[in-house]
Amino acid sequence: MSCTLGEVKNRADLIIYWGGNPAECHPRHFTKYSLMPKGKFVPNGRKDRTMVLVDIRETPSVKAADLFLQVRPGKDFEVVTALRALIKNQRVDKDRLVETGLTFEQLQDFAGILKKARFGVLFFGMGLSMTRGKHMNSASVLTLVAELNAFTKFVAMPMRGHGNVTGSDMVIRWTTGYPFGVNLCRGYPRFNPGEFSTVDLLLRGDNDAALILGADPGATMPQPAIDHLARIPTIVLDPKVTHTSQLARVHITTAATGISAPGTAYRMDEVPLPLRPPLKSPYPTDEEIVRRIRQAVQGKPPWLPNSNGKRRLV
Amino acid sequence: MELNVVKNATCTFCGCVCDDIELHANHERIVKTKRACILGEAWFKHHTAERLYPDALIDGKPASVDEAIEKAAEFLYRADMPLVYGLSNVTCETQREAVHLAEIIGGVIDSHTSL
Ligand code: SF4
Repeated sequence: MSCTLGEVKNRADLIIYWGGNPAECHPRHFTKYSLMPKGKFVPNGRKDRTMVLVDIRETPSVKAADLFLQVRPGKDFEVVTALRALIKNQRVDKDRLVETGLTFEQLQDFAGILKKARFGVLFFGMGLSMTRGKHMNSASVLTLVAELNAFTKFVAMPMRGHGNVTGSDMVIRWTTGYPFGVNLCRGYPRFNPGEFSTVDLLLRGDNDAALILGADPGATMPQPAIDHLARIPTIVLDPKVTHTSQLARVHITTAATGISAPGTAYRMDEVPLPLRPPLKSPYPTDEEIVRRIRQAVQGKPPWLPNSNGKRRLV
Repeated sequence: MELNVVKNATCTFCGCVCDDIELHANHERIVKTKRACILGEAWFKHHTAERLYPDALIDGKPASVDEAIEKAAEFLYRADMPLVYGLSNVTCETQREAVHLAEIIGGVIDSHTSL
């Protein structure tokens, strides 16, 4: 149950941001897509819309909100569960709500606002999906949104950051069938988050070489994972010499995406957009380098996976 | 000097991917942005077309792109479980190439989504 940002602009009269700070992290989200624009069914723009912000602390986004609900850190799942009960008029134990940081009345009001909307949209951010509960939190808000469709039209959308990370989900999905963390060691795709996710692989020391592109894990990952990247031959493609480049065996400088390298990027609502780079780079594009590495590998003798996990030349 | 004006350029700094940005650039850098937010403007002005870094580095020493590609291919070919990771700040076309490479080297492909 998602939609495009164009539908949000034209239809949404209730906008919820949960665990995110769009004013600072997605500065034009309010003005271009969600809150401010005048739309077909919300002709007065901001006046026709209600905005509720749910977060664990006050951020600059609070100024834009009609209602701010401050949840105690790590209690999002409990709040969502209470809301799911309240919209169905099920009994909720008031005493047990105390630990969420919200009162029964606040949640009752919020449940009313949710049901009254003509078209509601819930944007959820990393504050929800990256804290205690993780994907269980995301799953619970998606369930809440699904259940709200018994009363009105409601959609959910993750607030994706990091440039074209949505594009990588899309591309890996249509090429392998899974969105991320796909293991092709056996020659066919296997998917198991937690087992084949990068941080887990590196912490266990499973990988014996790495190619890093469009990211700088040397600046963001847990130290033991970085240590493993420094132990194995790591190759970095990046427009700059990054933290990761400094611990890598090979670094290749490439053109900057969207600035001097053309191509396509996906918006957070999964709409692909063409890039229009204004500059010409003296460096090759990532696309060209990856293709040339692949061609160089294909020039070598083929191998087959062995039962012990090692390679066997054929 | 004549500036190259690009209308409706696309910013890839955050997930909004605004595609209504106007950019004014000379042959080396973007000098003016219209409609971009502060993050977007900083992003566009930060990257230039100057030659600031060596083409490639092998073990910290400048090398040619051809040598670096050969070395990279050798490392990935020899590995039993290579990793291809990142993919946030690259185009979909690059991502597709990366999946193909991961298949040929029999590796794991992963992005920021897994964090
Ligand atoms: S202009 Fe600002 S809001 Fe738009 S994509 Fe760039 S960083 Fe995001």
